[in-house]
Amino acid sequence: MQKRLSLISLLILSLVLAGCAGTQSRHTDPENDPWEGYNRKVYAFNDGLDKVVRPVAVAYDKITPDPVQRGFGNFFRNLDAPVTYVNLVLQGKFKESVETIGRFLVNSTIGLLGFFDLASKWGLPYYNEDLGQTLATWGYEDSRYLMLPVFGPSTFRDGTGRLVDSYYHPVGRVLHGSNEWGLWIFRGIDTRARYLDQDAELQQAYDPYVLMRDVWIQNRQYQIYDGDPPMMDYDLYLDDYSEEEEPATEVDP
Amino acid sequence: MKLRILLFAITLVFSSGLLAQTQADDPVSLVESITGAIFADVTENMEEYTANPEALEALVRRDLMPLLDINYSARLILGRAGRGLKQEKIDEFATSMTDLLVNRYAKGLLYFSSEVKIRVLPQRGELNEKLTRVRSRVVMPKGGEAPVDYAFHNTPDGWKAFDVIVEGISYVTTYRNQIMPEVKANGIDNVIERLNKGQLELAE
Repeated sequence: MQKRLSLISLLILSLVLAGCAGTQSRHTDPENDPWEGYNRKVYAFNDGLDKVVRPVAVAYDKITPDPVQRGFGNFFRNLDAPVTYVNLVLQGKFKESVETIGRFLVNSTIGLLGFFDLASKWGLPYYNEDLGQTLATWGYEDSRYLMLPVFGPSTFRDGTGRLVDSYYHPVGRVLHGSNEWGLWIFRGIDTRARYLDQDAELQQAYDPYVLMRDVWIQNRQYQIYDGDPPMMDYDLYLDDYSEEEEPATEVDP
Repeated sequence: MKLRILLFAITLVFSSGLLAQTQADDPVSLVESITGAIFADVTENMEEYTANPEALEALVRRDLMPLLDINYSARLILGRAGRGLKQEKIDEFATSMTDLLVNRYAKGLLYFSSEVKIRVLPQRGELNEKLTRVRSRVVMPKGGEAPVDYAFHNTPDGWKAFDVIVEGISYVTTYRNQIMPEVKANGIDNVIERLNKGQLELAE
């Protein structure tokens, strides 16, 4: 119980700290990101947290041989299987849901607790689903971008989905009173280590917050459509040339 | 040795533009033939290109650039920020982008071409008159594939690519949302200057 409180206090702390951070509150995408002011503050908080997390992730990346790191990646991915299974069923993808059970059984046993992804080699493909994606396929397509403390980019829909999924996720259960904090933190470090390559790009960006948002939203769309999103309408980009409205930034600096 | 001669013949055909007339010029075939030829060339002449990166940049410029419509990409990226700009400025911006792209692509080739394989997926459905997407997979040496798509549009000079989409992330969209506010804040000249400088940094 005490540990559970500490997470809640961390979240509250993040909001308090966010209040202090002097980030600019702009409106770069009012349609998808009406909470940009708040989101930028949480982004600044996460960025601060990353000052501690990143060095650990770098060290982990350095000392862990690639095959071992891949093994840990497989291990955590395997633990997502129950959530993926439930959401495949909710989306009516029954063949895929059976394949996911098969994967979970094979990898958890012969694959030594998921360390080795034998199932993929045996023709049982990997699927990735969660409640946020299920809600999207059910018609809840557009949701406000929401920067979560600690967890990073999300939407209101996906954040809610994540909370529900975590009730029965083997690692996520830690947020609801399970005591396996070590595993939860380790997963966080392992996940962070996978994004180290992108750090330079993000830092050099004109607006790192917007870059992270763009990349996340587009990639999320890609997941929701199982890798086959509709082609976007490039003509909209050209319409800008004929539009008469003045950019908001010039009115309100 | 035979292979070398064959490759030489392929490059010869390419540079003289003969192939363009004899071969199907639908987007899928274009991506297949051009990336195939470039990768083969780089793998074959790896040592020479490592010693002389300019030669590789020249190859990319000659073989890959005709496939791209950088001017169109530049217009999409500049969007509203390009309104009221003189055509020369947009061209200048497109040139800077091209230089950066050539430089990066050449670097990437040296790094990856011996390890990764490109698998171009067949065209799906009917070929749209104006716009289409070519889907491909970059196959990593240690397993795993990265999905890379190319957006093509039909121009009077044939099909040209203007966007690259990696795991759903569009280069044009992402770049545009960085460049538009930067141009608004700092002006197009400063942005072009920064791009040209970045090219120098990358070249070092």
